[in-house]
Amino acid sequence: MDALEEESFALSFSSTSDAEFDAVVGYLEDIIMDDEFQLLQRNFMDKYYLEFEDTEENKLIYTPIFNEYISLVEKYIEEQLLQRIPGFNMAAFTTTLQHHKDEVAGDIFDMLLTFTDFLAFKEMFLDYRAEKEGRGLDLSSGLVVTSLCKSSSLPASQNNLRH
Amino acid sequence: GLLSILRKLKSAPDQEVRILLLGLDNAGKTTLLKQLASEDISHITPTQGFNIKSVQSQGFKLNVWDIGGQRKIRPYWKNYFENTDILELAELLEEEKLSCVPVLIFANKQDLLTAAPASEIAEGLNLHTIRDRVWQIQSCSALTGEGVQDGMNWVCKNVNAKKK
Repeated sequence: MDALEEESFALSFSSTSDAEFDAVVGYLEDIIMDDEFQLLQRNFMDKYYLEFEDTEENKLIYTPIFNEYISLVEKYIEEQLLQRIPGFNMAAFTTTLQHHKDEVAGDIFDMLLTFTDFLAFKEMFLDYRAEKEGRGLDLSSGLVVTSLCKSSSLPASQNNLRH
Repeated sequence: GLLSILRKLKSAPDQEVRILLLGLDNAGKTTLLKQLASEDISHITPTQGFNIKSVQSQGFKLNVWDIGGQRKIRPYWKNYFENTDILELAELLEEEKLSCVPVLIFANKQDLLTAAPASEIAEGLNLHTIRDRVWQIQSCSALTGEGVQDGMNWVCKNVNAKKK
């Protein structure tokens, strides 16, 4: 019976309004922007940042940490969607997503995708470690944060992190 | 989950290819990788972990993953099998996650007089018995760069064929 319900839900989800899809996308944005999500990320980085070193070669340990991170983010997003949308079904939503794949453009999806980018993940940890250890808090990084310049004009110390 | 589905949805149109570079220690995988990226190859030390480089070639973005080849690292290779489009060594042909993935074998170090020729390696690896995927053996020298681009051209051609 559960399977049937899921199926009909999936059907209704893929056939009914785009409004429903858009609503979920809206919630996704809320969830990612929420302080609670930032906290989740910081807690995760606190646990592992000492493993990360600013060298070109990657340590094997990065891979299980990366996989743990992806699972954590996925689980968190699903839980939050469930809290906000009673009866939310992730399997149905991902099916809808596949039907809407041409519209999967917006910033929110780009942002979600960066969570699956290993090099972006490594950079996030290196930035965090630099911040933790008091590097990167010098005047030049302050200028970067407030500057309107594009990344090409970042000081060399910032560019070094972007291989 | 959500993120892996998103990744699959988004990566296809972008023509991104994930290439896994595996082989015995001291085979020259990292040298090959750096040669591909036109980087300095004079100070390469044995890889304890893994390296990643992205190279543009014929409209494709080739993300090449070079995993250390030392015996103690080899058990970790399997952690990198997911989503692989091209494989660059035999022995792994039995792996389910890598079934049908095209394989390119670089017969490296051809700048050395003592290097075994590609034909001999092909025979030694019984490449002619491979039936379930396309394969190619390419002689090369990661040191001089000879043959490396030919291998990549083969990669692009076969990714094209596979994705169509």
